[in-house]
Amino acid sequence: MATAEIQLEAPATKQLPSTGSEARAFWMLRARRLNTMTSHALRSMRVQLVSISVASLVMWLGLYILFQQGFQFIHTGLIHAGMRTQFVHAIFNVFFLALTVMLMFSSAIIMYGNLFKTEEVRFLLTTPSRPERIVIHKFHEAVFFSCWGFVLLGSPMLIAYGDTALSPWYYYVLLIPFMLAFVLIPAAIGAIACLLVVRLLPTVRLHALVILAGLVIAAGVYFGWHVLAYQNRNLMTMTWFNDVLTRLEYSEQRLLPSWWLSTGLLEAAHPSPSTTGRPAWRESFYFLAVLASNALLLQLILAMVASRCFRVSYSELQGITRTTRNRRVSWIDRGVGLVCRPLPATLRMFVIKDLRLFRRDPMQWSQFAIFTSLLLLYFFNVRRFDYAGTLEQWVTVISFLNVAVVGLILSTFTTRFIFPMISLEGRRFWVLGTAPIKRDLVLWGKFWFACVGTIPPCSLLVLASDISLKIATRLPLVAAIHQLTCWVLCIGLAAMAVGFGARLPNLREPSPSKIAAGFGGTLNLVLSALYIMAVVLLTAVPCFFWTEKAWLSQIHPSASIIFGGTIGLGTPGAVILGVSLMLLLAAIATIVPLRIGIRAFRRLEF
Amino acid sequence: MINIKQVTRTYGTKTAVDCLDLHVRRGELFACLGHNGAGKTTTIKMMVGLLQPTAGTMEIAGFDVVTEAREASLRSGYVPDEPYLYDKLSGREFLQFVAEMYGLPRDIASSSIDKQIHDFGLGGFVDQLAESYSHGMKQRLVFASALLHDPELLIVDEPMVGLDPRSMRLVKDLLKTRVRNGGTVFMSTHTLAVAEEIADRIGVMSQGKIQFLGTVAELREQLSSDDSLEQLFLTLTEEEQGSYIS
Repeated sequence: MATAEIQLEAPATKQLPSTGSEARAFWMLRARRLNTMTSHALRSMRVQLVSISVASLVMWLGLYILFQQGFQFIHTGLIHAGMRTQFVHAIFNVFFLALTVMLMFSSAIIMYGNLFKTEEVRFLLTTPSRPERIVIHKFHEAVFFSCWGFVLLGSPMLIAYGDTALSPWYYYVLLIPFMLAFVLIPAAIGAIACLLVVRLLPTVRLHALVILAGLVIAAGVYFGWHVLAYQNRNLMTMTWFNDVLTRLEYSEQRLLPSWWLSTGLLEAAHPSPSTTGRPAWRESFYFLAVLASNALLLQLILAMVASRCFRVSYSELQGITRTTRNRRVSWIDRGVGLVCRPLPATLRMFVIKDLRLFRRDPMQWSQFAIFTSLLLLYFFNVRRFDYAGTLEQWVTVISFLNVAVVGLILSTFTTRFIFPMISLEGRRFWVLGTAPIKRDLVLWGKFWFACVGTIPPCSLLVLASDISLKIATRLPLVAAIHQLTCWVLCIGLAAMAVGFGARLPNLREPSPSKIAAGFGGTLNLVLSALYIMAVVLLTAVPCFFWTEKAWLSQIHPSASIIFGGTIGLGTPGAVILGVSLMLLLAAIATIVPLRIGIRAFRRLEF
Repeated sequence: MINIKQVTRTYGTKTAVDCLDLHVRRGELFACLGHNGAGKTTTIKMMVGLLQPTAGTMEIAGFDVVTEAREASLRSGYVPDEPYLYDKLSGREFLQFVAEMYGLPRDIASSSIDKQIHDFGLGGFVDQLAESYSHGMKQRLVFASALLHDPELLIVDEPMVGLDPRSMRLVKDLLKTRVRNGGTVFMSTHTLAVAEEIADRIGVMSQGKIQFLGTVAELREQLSSDDSLEQLFLTLTEEEQGSYIS
């Protein structure tokens, strides 16, 4: 470093950057970072890229087939074209309305973390950047993170619908601008809400967030209940369709962006002239313009709110008195301590420490709340298939389907919350690494934390499903197998998340959601899904044939060789074999990832 | 250059800076000293626009840091104690981004970047990604970015932490040269020997207030002692120091 003569510029010549050059600088920043990350990924992460692409493609195709079959079913079930369009419109309305609420909520949470907790914003606030530019920069980042999930879930549904309805080419072309314009609206509302909550209620922001989350969950449960509580047995009749449409009317408010989106898309999907007499494509463009103009208006409002309150909110948030924790151990920790009493004291402390870190991080538990509400909403649906219904023979299948759903949602829990724990622990390893404890204990702590946290709620949900379907009283053995399957799933998924989390850690990334979204997290999710399918199929198939042997013999007498006799699938021997194989698979899925993880963790250099 | 009038900043019920009055002249190297939690970093964060005063006013080069935050930051450069760099940008790309943020025309930005790369010896690594930099390399890049727009005021928070002796020497030379050429430096440090060596004036903060303001010689005179600044500082802040250790 040479200390050359420095000539300070005359103060008058300094000029603030124009809005245009500031915007260009941020776009350049984004482009450069994206370019660096892409070329790095193409150079040194080819295997990961291929695996993620293949997994995404398989998932996309699976969803496409599912939706395609569903729309085909509606197409053949509802002969009347007007009724069919009306029904699909109602489905789209509900789907996009649910998405609106979820995007608003997730955008508010992501923006809170992005704006008030990142080093980048702290740096940018010390430069002459306009506060609204910083907020918009982080807002686009949040939209990108929210958007890809929507595209992955929404595009197979919309393309499948287009294929079934034989839509014109411009329907497919308009999908992307429609989705993009739509996503911006709830995301901007969430971002504005986040800024206003922090500005107006800085000291009670967490309570405000909890109340908001509570209201959203309550509204979701109310609407879910309202729609699903209907018990008409005459499925797929005109009366049933009319009744369902009446119950879904709440989603047809003309001021809802979800209604603009579904109406615009359906106008594009059907080439016949619309009710207004204008060509359908013009109607579709009209709704796209409504969506886009509202999205841009909301972005302007966001910028205006940001210019007025972001700097002061940031400053005020730093001025909040930090909560002083009570010295006494809380009742939650005492409860967990009691449950974990059989474990060694050090291990118990690890479990309690992880629980404390988790519940004191609003970013973590708020996303946890969203997952839980989705799971609960699903289980309200279980009522729909009660034992006395017309689908009596399929009760065993439905009950195992419930176990699989618990497993699938559990796998998203373990991937999102347990998998990143090792990576995050790596950043704090100076304290664990220098303590006189075995490294393995860290992993065992995470494993027990995951087991203790997942087995009781999952077990209760499966039991609730069995009681609702009268499996617990009619087929207690099947109910016991469900419980065993549920425990096996919890233990196996916990072991996989911990093991792979230690084998494929990301020690640079501080955000758990980004760690989970990386290669390791995706691989864990895919392997977890395969494990769940294998475990459930191994028990569900013999149990179904065993419980429904009589009914199956009546409708398929020629196929009784498959499930009858002494060695068929419907024998107690087949059930015992299935359960044994499931236990063997569970042992492998638990021991192997844990061993791999422990070995990797012992070798890991921090 | 820096005008602080009756500035108070609270964190909930805790007062971090208490009715602070301070004036730092143009062309002065001012060192702010104090034990941990004395209010130094809070004062700096208010100067750079990260925090806003609960009461009082603060001006940088005549611009209010609250109402004219952007104008004020245009005239100052900031080197934080824990600098942020974009891991996925090279040093040069980072400097280009900062130059655009400060509104430098393209030709001036280009020559200024070349000059900083030369002055701070960044040539060997400036085109590598920042994720591969050592602490010293990062610190040099952050100094370069803070000086890119040739600010009238340089605000430095703990500049010597983690630097090797050679880098420390270089930073000291840089700060002295800057002041010699008409610039102003506001430095917060625990490295008392550095403050003693290069500061024109020191301010000792304690419990959010300035306990002493003047030159090291004036401090010696006030305490009637010929000891080093370290000893003088300990004597001045004896009470707080005692309560910490016990």
